[in-house]
Parts: sequence; C-alpha cells; structure tokens
Amino acid sequence: MSDKEEEPRIGVFVCSCGSNIGGLIDVKALAEYAKTLPNVVFTEDNLYTCSETGLAQIKNGIKDHNLNRVIVASCTPRTHEPLFRDCVKKEGVNEYLFNFVNIRDQNTWCHQKYPQEAFEKAKDLIRMGVAKAAKLEALENIIVDATPTALVIGGGVSGMTAALSLANQGFKTHLIERENELGGRLKTLYKLFPNDQEAQILLENLKKNVEGNKNLKIHTSAQVKNIEGFVGNFEIIVEEKGNNIDLTIGVIIVAVGTSLFTPTGYFGYDGKIRITQHELEDKLINNDVKAKDIVMIQCVGSRNDERAYCSSVCCMTALKNALILKENNPKANVSILFRDLYTPGTHYEDYYRRARETGVIFIEYSPEKVPSVEENQIKVFNEYLGEDLLIPYDLCVLSTPLVSNNDNKALAQMIKVPLEENGFFLEAHVKLRPMDFATAGVFVCGSAKWPVDITESISQGYAAAARASTIISHDTIEVEGATSFLPDYNKSLCTGCEVCINVCPYNAISKNEDDEIVITQVLCKGCGVCGATCTNHAIIIRHFTDQQILSEIFAYGGKEV
Amino acid sequence: MKNLGENSKSVVIIGAGIAGIQAALDLGDMGIQVHLIEKQPCIGGRMAQLDKTFPTLDCSICILAPKLSECYRHDNITLHTLSDIQKIGGSVGNFSVDVLKHARYVKEGVCTNCGDCGAICPVRGITNFFDANLVTQAAAQIAFPAAVPAAYRIDPNKCLYLNYEICGLCYQNCGADAIDFTQKDSILSLDNVGAIIVATGLDLAEDIHDLNIYGYQKYDNVITAMELERLICASGPQAGHLSRLTDGKHPKKIAFLQCIDSRSQKGQMYCSSVCCMYTTKEAMIAFEHDNELESYVFYIDMRAGGKGFQRFLQRGAKEYNIKYLKSKISHIDVDKDDNPIITYEDYETSEIKQITVDLVVLATCIIPSRGINNLADVLGIDLDHYDYVKTNPFLPIETSIEGIYTCGCAREPMDIPRSVAEASGAAARAAEVIKGG
Amino acid sequence: MTFEPKILGFLCNWCSYAGADLAGVSRIQYPPNMRVIRVMCSGRVDPVFIFKALLTGIDGVFVLGCHPGDCHYLEGNYEAEKKFIMVQKFLKIVDFDKRVRLDWVSASEGARFAQVVTEFIESIREQGPSPLSGESIDQELFNNLKAMENSVSSERIRALVGRERKITEVENEYGEKVPIEEFNTIFDEAIHDEFVRQRILLSLSTKVLSVKDLAAELKLDPSEILENMVKLKSRGEIDYQSIDGNTPLYMRI
Repeated sequence: MSDKEEEPRIGVFVCSCGSNIGGLIDVKALAEYAKTLPNVVFTEDNLYTCSETGLAQIKNGIKDHNLNRVIVASCTPRTHEPLFRDCVKKEGVNEYLFNFVNIRDQNTWCHQKYPQEAFEKAKDLIRMGVAKAAKLEALENIIVDATPTALVIGGGVSGMTAALSLANQGFKTHLIERENELGGRLKTLYKLFPNDQEAQILLENLKKNVEGNKNLKIHTSAQVKNIEGFVGNFEIIVEEKGNNIDLTIGVIIVAVGTSLFTPTGYFGYDGKIRITQHELEDKLINNDVKAKDIVMIQCVGSRNDERAYCSSVCCMTALKNALILKENNPKANVSILFRDLYTPGTHYEDYYRRARETGVIFIEYSPEKVPSVEENQIKVFNEYLGEDLLIPYDLCVLSTPLVSNNDNKALAQMIKVPLEENGFFLEAHVKLRPMDFATAGVFVCGSAKWPVDITESISQGYAAAARASTIISHDTIEVEGATSFLPDYNKSLCTGCEVCINVCPYNAISKNEDDEIVITQVLCKGCGVCGATCTNHAIIIRHFTDQQILSEIFAYGGKEV
Repeated sequence: MKNLGENSKSVVIIGAGIAGIQAALDLGDMGIQVHLIEKQPCIGGRMAQLDKTFPTLDCSICILAPKLSECYRHDNITLHTLSDIQKIGGSVGNFSVDVLKHARYVKEGVCTNCGDCGAICPVRGITNFFDANLVTQAAAQIAFPAAVPAAYRIDPNKCLYLNYEICGLCYQNCGADAIDFTQKDSILSLDNVGAIIVATGLDLAEDIHDLNIYGYQKYDNVITAMELERLICASGPQAGHLSRLTDGKHPKKIAFLQCIDSRSQKGQMYCSSVCCMYTTKEAMIAFEHDNELESYVFYIDMRAGGKGFQRFLQRGAKEYNIKYLKSKISHIDVDKDDNPIITYEDYETSEIKQITVDLVVLATCIIPSRGINNLADVLGIDLDHYDYVKTNPFLPIETSIEGIYTCGCAREPMDIPRSVAEASGAAARAAEVIKGG
Repeated sequence: MTFEPKILGFLCNWCSYAGADLAGVSRIQYPPNMRVIRVMCSGRVDPVFIFKALLTGIDGVFVLGCHPGDCHYLEGNYEAEKKFIMVQKFLKIVDFDKRVRLDWVSASEGARFAQVVTEFIESIREQGPSPLSGESIDQELFNNLKAMENSVSSERIRALVGRERKITEVENEYGEKVPIEEFNTIFDEAIHDEFVRQRILLSLSTKVLSVKDLAAELKLDPSEILENMVKLKSRGEIDYQSIDGNTPLYMRI
C-alpha cells in the first residue's frame, strides 16, 4: 500500500500465548482497553500471535482496517520482533512502524502471585507502547556501495596469507610492503618450530603463490601515506618508490608485524658473547656457532614492570635453537633458565619433551632472584636445591620479547584505530571480534595485534581475509535504519562543539571540510549515546527519539510535563 | 545483500560451538549457504556453559547469545540440531553429505518454550549435561532456558510413550500442540557441498577417566573445573552462590590443582592450554561472590601468553586473594568433616606441608570431542596421536583431505579468541573453494 | 491502602533487558511495580528523561545497563554512569537522590535482576509516595525539579558531562589529563550555579521580581542571586523591566 494517511492508525494485537499470558490476565479485556487509547483503530486478541494463524490475523487486520502501525503485546522483542517486522513488511507497513510490548517474560511469568497487578501493568505497558507507536516513523535501511578491493598493509607471513586468500576469492588485492622484498620476519629465520620446517622454503612457496596470483598487486618499497573515507569507500594514497598512487579500497587489513628488542643493559648483553635469539639464529644459518657451553635465559625484558606481557614465542624459539645446537654438536651443553615454560597445546608440549630427551637442561629461576651473568659463568639460585648453581658458558643467549613498532601510533592515527598499553593494535573485542577493529572495514592480523607464532599468524591471516570478505562479497553495505542522524533542519542548532565525536566509539561522527558535523550512517550502530549527549539537542536517534521516549514516560506518568 | 544464487555450493560445518558458529556467520555474511550440524539439541557448545570468560571477565552468554540468535535467523544458515554426519562422498568442490537427523519429537517452529511439558513429565532424574550433570531434568527437556533453538525435546531413551506407549501427558498438555510423537529419525542428503569444516570442539578428561587418584568421585568435596563453573554461574544450579554439595557450607578456602590428567603419562601427555587462565578466572568469580575466599593454585608452569593474560594473573594475585604455589602435590586425603587435605612441597623452603581446604577444584585436561574417531572414519581424515584432527603447523586449517578444513579445539586445545580466529580462517579457506572455483 | 510505588525502568537491550527476560523465563518472581522502557544502550538515557519521569509523579527511576567493560557498544555504560552521577548531584540538593538508581545487570543474571528491582521497590516504598504524585503536588519541589531539568538540558552542563571522560581519562596532545577531583570541583560549582540560574528563570517566566523577592522565594543569599542574575543578564536571558521605588524589577526575555 503506498498511500498512507498522515494520521496514525494503530492496530493492537494482544497475545494469550496459550495460557502463559491468558492464564493469568484477561487478554480480551486488554484488547478492549487498547481500543480506548488515542489513535487505536483496531484491536484483537490471539491465542498464539506468532503462529501462522496469528500472523494471518495481523495481515488481515492491516488490510481490513488500513492500519499503518502495528503493536503486538506478547513475549519479548528479543525473540520475535524480526518475525513480526517481517510480517507487517509483507503487508506494506514499514517494519519500523511496528512496536512490541512485553507482557509475558517481563510480566505474567514473573508476577504470578499478582494477577490483578499484572493486568494493570499490561495496561500501562500497552498504553506506553501505543504512545510510542503514534510517534514512530518509517525508516529505510542505509545502503552504500562496497568497492570489491582490499588493501593489506604488511607483506610478512600474515599479510601475505590474508592477501592471497582474498585474491583467491576473486577480489583485487593490493599488498603494501615497506621493505624492497616480501617476507617480513620470515626472511631472517632458519628453521621453524615445531617440525623443523625450513623457513626459506616456506617463504619461497608463499612468495611464489603471491607473485603468481593475477588478482594480487604487490607494492614493495611502499608505504601508506593517507587514508580518507570509510568502509567500502576508502580513498588511499600509497607512496611506492617515490611515486604516489591513488587507490579506492573497500577494506583494509593491518598486518605490520613487530620489531625486535635489543636488551641493552640486561645480563651484560654485548651482541658478541651475550646475544639475542635472533642473533643466534643468524649465526646458525651461517654455521657460525663454535661454542660448547650455551646458556639461554628466558623472559629478558618481558614479564617485568616495563613490559608486563609474555611474548609467547620465545620459549619455543629457545627450544628450537637448543635442539639445533644439540643436533649440530651432541656433546654441547645447553641449558635454559626459565620462569614458566610456555609450550601449550599438543605440538608444543611434545616439542618440550623432545628437547628434554635430547639432554637440554632446564633450570627454573624466580623473578625475585634473577640469574647473574658473570664473565665466564652464570650464577642462578635454584629453588629445589635451595642454593646457587654456577654454570660455565661460552655463549649466553637472551630470549627477548617481540615489541610493537615505533610507527604503529602514526598508522593507528591515520586509520583511526586504537593501540593498547604496549603499543599493539587494539581489536574491537578480544574474544568475539579478534580480527576486527571497532572502526568498520578495517581488520588486523598477526603479531601487529599481539606476538604470535607463525601457525597463528597464518590462521589469523585467513581469518582477517574472511572478515574482510563478509563486507566486500556484496555490491553494497546495508545497515539498519535506526541510526543517529543530524537532519538539515537541525543544522542551525549544531554549535560544532564536537562532544558527539568524543563519545562515539565507532568513529562514525566527523567534521567535513566545511567544518560541519557529519554522521556517517553506515558506521553508526544506533547506540544513541551521541543523542543523549548532544549539547544542543540537534542529533536525532531514529526509532528511539526523544519524542518517542518521552511519549512513553508521559503515558506512564499520566501527564505531560 | 547479494547472494550467490540457489544453485551455488554450500558449506557443511560440523559442530555448532563458538567456532562452528563463527565460521557459519562469516560464510553466511559472504552470501554462501551454510548447513550447521550440531549433535546436541541446542547450539552454543561449551561457551554457553561458562559464566564469565578470561581475560575480560565478560559474561559468556551475554556475548554469545546475539551470535546464537543471528545464526538462527540468518537467511543463509540452516541449523540442523540433534544431527550427525552419516556418510560423505565426492571431493573438494563437490561433496555429498548425508546428515542423520534425530527426531526431536517437538515441532521446532511451534514450541513456545513455555515449559509445561517439562513440568508435567513424570520421568525425572536424567542428568543434564549442560549443568555438568549436577542437576537432573525430565524426559521432556531443554538444555537451558535461553537455548537456541528455543524448543524442548523428548529424550527417546527415557520417554514412556516412545518406549511403552503409555503416558503422553506432555502431548495432552501442550497448548501449542507442539509435541509430535510421530516424528522419526531421517536422513537429509546434501549435494553440491563445496567444502566441509570440522569444528567439533572438546570434551573433558572426566568424561573418559575416573580421576580417582586426584580424589574425584572418591571425595565429595573434590570437584572438576566445569562443575565449579556451573556452580558459580549466575544462571547455574546455585545461581552463583557457591556452596559445597556435601553440606551446603560456603567454602572459604579453595585449592585449584592444575594439569590434572594432562602433561602426564598417566593421562594425556599434552598441555591443555587454557586451564591456567580459567582457574584464575574461576577464583576471581568465586571471590566476587565471597570476599573472604582464599584461593590456592598449585601449578607447574603458569601459561599465560595470550593478549592481556599476564595482567590477568597479576590482578588475580593482587586483587582477588589468589596465591600461586609452584608445587606438584603429592596426594589428597580428607578429614572427618570431608574437608580435603593437600600434601605438597613448599617451593621456597623445601618443606613438605599440608593445607586443609573446603573444596578442591581439578583443572582437568580438555580432550577431543568423543565422537571424533567415528567422524574421522566417515570423513576419511587423519587424526594425530592424540586423536585431534591432524594438521600441518604451516597449513593449520587444512586436514589430510582437500576441501575439508578444521578449526578450534577439534585441532588442538585452545581458548576462545584463537578458536574464533581459526574459525574465520576456516571460513576463508572454504570461501576460496566456493568463490574461486 | 498501602502505598504501591510507581517505578520506571530504563533497560538496555543487550544486558539488562535480556536479564529481565531471563528472570521471566526462569519464573523468578518479583513485585509488579516497575514498567520498562527499552533502549538499545543505557548511554541513550538522557538526564532529561529522568527528570521528566520524576516530574510526572513517578516515585522512582531505575537505569540498568551492562556491567562496566561489557557494554555492547563498548563504552556507552560509562557515559550513562557519568550522566547518572550528575543527575544524583542535582537531586541531592533537594534530598531526592535516593529516588533514582543506576545498576548493572548482565544477560545471564535473571536472579540478580529480580533482586535489585525488588530492593529498589522496597527502598521507594520506605521513602513513601513522591510529593509530585497524587492530587495536590508540592509546587516548590516541582519548580526545583523543573529547574534541574532545564539545567541538564542546557548547553553548559551537557558540554561538561559529555566531555568529562575525555578530559579526565584521555591525555591531550601535551600528555595532560585533568584529575577527577579538579574536574569535580568545577563541575559541582557549575551544577549549583546552573540550578540557581534556571530556578531564577523559572520564577521570572511568570512574574516580575526583584533580587530580594527572589532571595526570599529561593531561600538563598541575595548576593548569590545577584551574581547569577548578572550572568543571566549577560547571556541575554533576563533584563530590567521597571523600577519600584529604588528596587529594580527583572523579567525574563
């Protein structure tokens, strides 16, 4: 039906839900009562409004009485609102002109000893629902175009995996790498735990796939210079070998990895005899280790006040290098001084056992009594013996954490995403949205988010690709119409104070070149905080407007104040 | 949103825990048809049983429920609960999958979750797996009030009508006429399946071992971590007010024992990954209910390498009265009041000591879902020596059969963030098959 | 007839509304005094709503959101908390602060929902019916609450509470944060001042009055009245109307 009168014509359907509602309160009487309310032109009580019969009754009600707003008073909108919205939509009533009144889960089910009061409560709730319905407005979902292209920042193992997956799904993908070769940290590794995979072979295979994919455009010696726009429509400037390239991108994946930590001042680090695991790996690649007594120390520069985190890969790295040392020279003495050995799961625990079986010695130390590295020996207090152990060494290897890149902050600001306390990128939700940022259309994977091993870097690369794909798999991006907006007729109320920008967690509000507040509809999740905060009442929260909520308050309170 | 058309290939996901659900939602959002197969009558898996999750301590069902609803309502996802995989054929890009759908004996779309059938059913005393078998229910049952699908189910092993053709009270009393004893198990044959994802999740050590040496099922005040989780859960059998099952006393001292049946030749050799973190979490939740609680965690290595995990442990020690003792315990006895006594070595003084506590909680090893061997046979995929789905560390999502992918605890013990990430990863691989051709 | 409190609850869709539903599904019983307005986020609750509700004579207002850290929209409940604390500061001036409450209930806490609602209902029952309900209302209290409603609707107060978290919790470009105590000193003063000013404006919207008249009516020191009237005049909200002998009379513009 296209011609709807201006006046609200509300239909109220009161559900008995078998005996769940009707067994306690008189639903017929409620329907009668509803008839007396302003703007209500039709009421009916149903046995099960959600059944086929009930839905048919709604449809007939709309048709026969020219209803333009529908209320169902029954269970809870959290289960059946979509069902009823769908029903009214099929009869030509905009789904946002439907309102739900909860008289079961929040009434009859929990006030069983108060039937009279539950009846009065149902009347009040219906009255409030009718008052709001009279003020409801038809809304359309917001639709913007989605450009089916992706940008992956960072050409390490995680970035390459993400880019390759998106390219394999048919999306034109740009892979940006600031070095002149792809590979990231993988370029400098020798063998990989837990199965001694040769790092360079893994890298070569990955590179071959990446370079051979016609959907994947690789930009090396390249950096992102500027990002404008929003999900589905990012306008990005990339500088590649001195030239600027303009790209229109649908989704962005951040895969910039980590940096290495140099433990200056820890345990006499000198880069020669007291070195990092990374420097050891380099020596192992070149077969340059002559030492016979090697001692490794875990948690150097991590799990302390400065960096309270566990870098998760260092224990396995130490085990791996210890095993290589033992393999090269079975007579070498290799000891690992650790606090807690981090080898979770099946593969890693097996690896730990393997290291022990090859004769690597494990000695625990506590953070209160750190080992002391002297000229030729290391002194470490052992709890079990209750005394100091003196371990001779000719090579001391310090296991240091992966740390966040210094330029994460600049990138984070460019993309408008946050960092956590250690400088790693902060995802939308640690548990259930680990690859997403709160800012729509931007994702993160690999160690840029938190130090992880290669297995997880690869899984996360795929994961970010999947998340990005959910957006660019469609021509358009659609969000529900119940968003925040600043109507033209309220622009004069807006003082440009920017408090709304402060409180929006989704970066949906910004200022344009003319210094006007712009609420990017497709980013808005409809929480309404900006509306409750707007200093001059300019912002309107659709479907939960001030007028609608006040109408409910006045309907309950009994008067307008 | 544009979909790929009715004749396009679908993905079959086996297991509707958080990993299966995440993969389903990602694929569904990409416009790909998904069949989500779950053996239990409801979806949500282990996460639905948890009270809060580490390291954020947010309420598990609060963050899970919107995903359950979304899955249920999604245009591209078809839920098949009470279902198993019978047979597959074909190969990547073109599998055929036979799904055995067990009868629910309740019309799913009609049931209003009113509970009248459960109230009137005379067959009682059936333990409820959801509540770690601490609670019993009737033959007309629902796993938990907010279950999705929100429909009851009749247990065919216990129902009087289905076995002896007597009773039928639920049928007579159902106002919505939702009870249907004529339903039968049936096979649904799915063709044109592009990819399969195995997301069968986990079971627990106590499901296969009696754990008597740790005092479990020997002393009543020795319970498992999952039992504790249900007891401290706001919507569990004790509504979060933890009291001992023996005498109702509120425990003031709890000992948490790590690495139970794991990292050990007596049980599983591997590390169960998540127990160090969930033990701290449980101690924190218990402390929130009772500020006088003292918690003692007996551990070998505290494994907290994930994001925010070290900080979580620090908070536990500082703000929640948790004492971490690096000590393998020797044995557990009880005194005359059934209070467990733990004998252990004090790490710092090397003395043998004893501590009497009110409750012992065993952090039991997580194991692959018990149906995994059958499923692996049906699918033809390899399992590793621990019965987890075998994967290459650098192809973590691929199984031994092209087109069949895996994620989450089906592959290796892991926490929720990793399971969710891997699930999205599996969705990407499946999408490559379907869209890339 | 015993007094049955009339309670209005604002429940957020993702946590407290779900918790309330769970209480129902689990058949947990609680008294039937509360009517619920559903919002998507507790952060949607504009302080104006709370005052409007109290002005209609509702005996108690309860705002229930997600536990801190759990907000479905990430930080909305923190904003709700700041606004609520402000509302209580206003209400404390007229000893009305115990008629509003803010609490957190998660989707799994059906029993807790019933418990906190029952407690609040009982608390309101003890406080008795609102002086703004019934046949004859307390006009002075009404005017005071109206002035408060106008205050929380004003640009200045909204700007302060809207910026509070950013100013006190996030460092600016110079690495500075305003300590919460310092902010509160400024804020508390602003609350008090705006209340007095709105009260003056309310009185002047129906009558023409002198400083002394206003001081008597509002039971405040004439010097405080004068200070605020100077401010109102500079804002262009009041002006002289006439002189009665030596005493200037003011009106609302």
